Amino acid sequence: MPRFHVYWIFTKKAFLRSAVYRFDVWSRLGSNLIFLLMWGSIWTALYAGREEAGGISFQAMLTYIIVSQFLTGVNGAGTPLWEIQEKVRTGDIALELMRPFNIPLRYLFADFGSVAFYIVTALLPIYAMLFIFMDFTLPADVFTWVSFIAAAFIGFLIRYCIEMSFGLLSFFLVETGGIEDIFYFAMSLLSGSVIPLWFFPEWLAKVAAYLPFQGIYYIPNAIFIGEIAGGEILLSIGLQIFWLIICYFLLRLVWNRASHKVVVQGG
Amino acid sequence: MAAIKYVNLYFKLVSAGIRAQMQYRFAFIMRIIGLITAYTGTAVTMWVMLYQFQVLGSWNFFEMLFLYAVAILSWGFCVILFLHFRSLDTYILNGTFDRFLVRPINPFFHFMAMKFDMASFGQFIFSLIIFIWVSLELHIEWSSGKVLFLLASIIGGILIQGGMLVLISAIAFWTTKSQQFYWVVMYPARNLTNYPLVIYPKIVQWIAAFVVPFGFVNYFPAAVILEKGTPFFPESIGYFSPLVGLVFFIIAYCVWMLGLSRYKSTGS
Repeated sequence: MPRFHVYWIFTKKAFLRSAVYRFDVWSRLGSNLIFLLMWGSIWTALYAGREEAGGISFQAMLTYIIVSQFLTGVNGAGTPLWEIQEKVRTGDIALELMRPFNIPLRYLFADFGSVAFYIVTALLPIYAMLFIFMDFTLPADVFTWVSFIAAAFIGFLIRYCIEMSFGLLSFFLVETGGIEDIFYFAMSLLSGSVIPLWFFPEWLAKVAAYLPFQGIYYIPNAIFIGEIAGGEILLSIGLQIFWLIICYFLLRLVWNRASHKVVVQGG
Repeated sequence: MAAIKYVNLYFKLVSAGIRAQMQYRFAFIMRIIGLITAYTGTAVTMWVMLYQFQVLGSWNFFEMLFLYAVAILSWGFCVILFLHFRSLDTYILNGTFDRFLVRPINPFFHFMAMKFDMASFGQFIFSLIIFIWVSLELHIEWSSGKVLFLLASIIGGILIQGGMLVLISAIAFWTTKSQQFYWVVMYPARNLTNYPLVIYPKIVQWIAAFVVPFGFVNYFPAAVILEKGTPFFPESIGYFSPLVGLVFFIIAYCVWMLGLSRYKSTGS
């Protein structure tokens, strides 16, 4: 049983550290908003004045993109993958391996801290303003809100497990070029982060339905705008939990293999 | 002639760089594959996006691919020539920038020729395939005039994007930190212009034309070649791409030199 109070310290430290690098927070927010502008404009142009397309109203679609961009901000606020890979490359990871804690868990808890700081000081104020001053679809009842937050959190954990597993590949391959790019592509397209699954060609939607990526953005977004509703919500969250368990075991497998195969490059 | 001396020197430095990179052949090939995968990913996203909707602001899938390929091609050259400027602030912070000042050549040139990223072959292969595919699909007739115009616009695009990298790096002379600006200005601007400018609010289009002139990298020239309208802008604005690139680059160069004259070593 991991001693969670130890990991909790990493969360607090990461929160405080983010407070020091405030310029990073602002620049990240700026970049996030530019991408929001980009995807908002793209969807406005795709609808081209129509009230609805494929059974989805324009307003709901815009809400989908905004929620998605918010979650992209949340998912991108943790320790960047290259920082961990750099530690493997330079051999610094050996120092962490000597310490008595689980490294994937330690980074997860540190991410909680920096993400919390980013949400509270940057994302939430800006996106709350967007929802106050513009006319978007908000969930009508408490149940939808609660399930959205739950789905978003599980999505965060799924993303973390998958991304970390890929990051740890650098233990085995010193150069991860192509594989990593396929991962990032799958993450952005098949997760429905910019195009919802219902606009996919049928065969691709089927592929996406059998992969874990939809749990990261598509499910929470669709719950938020009410496209997944009622009993379907519990079913979707169940599916997310199923994938989370699989991804967790994937991460554990990769991690166990990786930590036994540390090749510290001299230098 | 100083110019010839510099060209010779550039090729000498660059070939040393190539030989260094070819020592890691596996890494080199993996990076090229990675780049091509990443660009193909964006192209697939465009295809999925237009699967149900057909057009994005009157641009169809192949026209958008063409727009994208123009940007990627000039970015490929830009990476070779200017991407090294992105790390200028690291040199300044570590104090290693000083060595560029004690050699008898122009420091701007020396810094620029210092590193040469060969992985740009990824950009070249990708954009070449797209150009051929789109030309066949859209039956573009490549007259020599059109080819020349495309080449001139590519050069314009290289100078605009290179100028932007140089400008951003120059911030480091004053603040010793600049890489953040790359991620706030350059990276989003490059992504924004992968899609036709016409879809953005007027103010954004205006900024992309006259303040951060990325519209001249691909949107205006591609509109000329594909004979598409550019609402809010004069019809033939795309022809100004090389000129805009030249002016923008000269401004960037002057700002960089001004920064250099104010540079004080961090002494670390």
